[in-house]
Amino acid sequence: MQDQPLLSVQHLTKSFGSLIAVNDVSFAIHRDEVLGLIGPNGAGKTTLFNSVTGLYKPDKGEVRFKDHNITGIEPYRICKLGMSRTFQVSRAFPTMTVAEAVRVGAYNRHEEREVEEQVRRMLTFFQLEKFASKKCEDLGLALLRRVEIARAVATEPELLLLDESAAGLNATELGELMDMLKSLRTDQDITLCIVEHVMKMVMGICDRIVVLDYGELIAEGNPEQISSNERVIEAYLGKRALQ
Amino acid sequence: MKPGFKKLLPLLILLVVALALPFAMLSNQYYLILLTTVILYATLASAWNIIGGMAGQFDLAAGAYLGLGAFTSGTLLIRWNITPWIGMIAGGLIAAAFAFLVGYPLFRFKVREVWYALSSAALVMVLRVVFMMWEQVGGPTERYIPFYDWSFYHLRFRSYIPYYYLILIILIITLWLNHRIRNRKLGYYLLALGDNEEAAEILGVDARGSKLKALMIYAFIVGVLGGVYACLYGFIHPNFFSSTISLEVSILGVVGGVGITYGPLLAALILVSGRELLRANVGGQLESLYLVIYAIVLIVIALFRPQGIGSLLQKAWEKLTTRAAEE
Repeated sequence: MQDQPLLSVQHLTKSFGSLIAVNDVSFAIHRDEVLGLIGPNGAGKTTLFNSVTGLYKPDKGEVRFKDHNITGIEPYRICKLGMSRTFQVSRAFPTMTVAEAVRVGAYNRHEEREVEEQVRRMLTFFQLEKFASKKCEDLGLALLRRVEIARAVATEPELLLLDESAAGLNATELGELMDMLKSLRTDQDITLCIVEHVMKMVMGICDRIVVLDYGELIAEGNPEQISSNERVIEAYLGKRALQ
Repeated sequence: MKPGFKKLLPLLILLVVALALPFAMLSNQYYLILLTTVILYATLASAWNIIGGMAGQFDLAAGAYLGLGAFTSGTLLIRWNITPWIGMIAGGLIAAAFAFLVGYPLFRFKVREVWYALSSAALVMVLRVVFMMWEQVGGPTERYIPFYDWSFYHLRFRSYIPYYYLILIILIITLWLNHRIRNRKLGYYLLALGDNEEAAEILGVDARGSKLKALMIYAFIVGVLGGVYACLYGFIHPNFFSSTISLEVSILGVVGGVGITYGPLLAALILVSGRELLRANVGGQLESLYLVIYAIVLIVIALFRPQGIGSLLQKAWEKLTTRAAEE
């Protein structure tokens, strides 16, 4: 029997004025997989993320998460249902400490009495104990990214969307991030969807990849299929690369 | 000695000083007025901290809620001889209900920053005009609260001391509320919203609900104070819907340090007493000179302590409590 997908996006369209940022895109994310969402700059990846997570209301189409139609509902309800995300440009809580930022997420499924415990668990898991009382505005990029993932995981999502978490990281930091994401999947049972430009990361952890170009879905498949797909190469490198 | 007690010790000392102060000033009525004004502003600014400080919604409508409270309590007393003790609560509730009506659409459409400031400021002006025209309760002439020498029922006293203590109680409750909210879910949610609304929402924060709660708590406290305000001054007038008070309250909130529990209190203690003393001492020689000096002090604070003077207090507090914990 075919598994029902965790998230399914049907014919989603979102435009800004005359610019169609996402055009009739359909795809699904299945439980326990890591889906990569790639495409050249301006392909509509972040717009797609924003439309799925309730930041934008899509013009057309439907987003279903588990058994719920979540098209255009408020982000906090989506989070309650079990989906969270991180942002491409870091959206830290600058005036809060690391522990406080994680606590905001932890309140999603924990009441006052247990919330402390959840924060401690998250800080340990993400190796952030040392920085617990540091203000977020004093952290470097790699740590900020980690805090952002930690606070999202603290909401105990079933599906976590990561928007360019690897951008700007050095090789060591990238390695750490990939290990962390792998353990999220195995230890915390979280399904991941990543928007990413860093190919090492995409090829390293994704089971399946969908490719967007000019707002349209142009390819879908496993990493090997994608890396040899002609339309993908054309989108990334131009037609001449194929000749 | 328990560490908890040592932590509370500075607060207890403050409380004793606050309780004793009026008796040190019995000889001079002026200082009593000053004292009462200072803690009135301290309470307003501490209430503002919940919406303006924690939630980051720069509210300029304190005058609206103060006026609504004053008119509710004052009208109940003048027309139906209902005690201001009930009137205060009714005023608080009406202010909170009004805040709900205003906040619901504003937060629904995510009105923030300068747009929120302007909308809330407009509210004060609109209400002032409405009460000017609404002859049954307002109108352009003052309506006097019945005069009594010393009546607990009518909340009318010949001395400032009972008003001082009443406002002090409201101040303590407000500070306690601030402290409680700050350390619980609502406080964390408000701070997160103030820092980055979109990021907070996808972590499960109900932006509209949280902000509405904050706005209504603030409006309730200011509404209750409005009832005291009416009795303290002995009349009600549409000018109570004052943009100046609204601005003053937000300035105290910012100078005190956005989101710092005791910051607005400190700011009110220093700025309001400083301003009033300046007015009393140099106001005679050159009118409005005190405002110039006051403005310069504000600018200096903004330049050297943009995070507010409350942050100094916070640092001192941290040092004190860590030392207390070490002992």
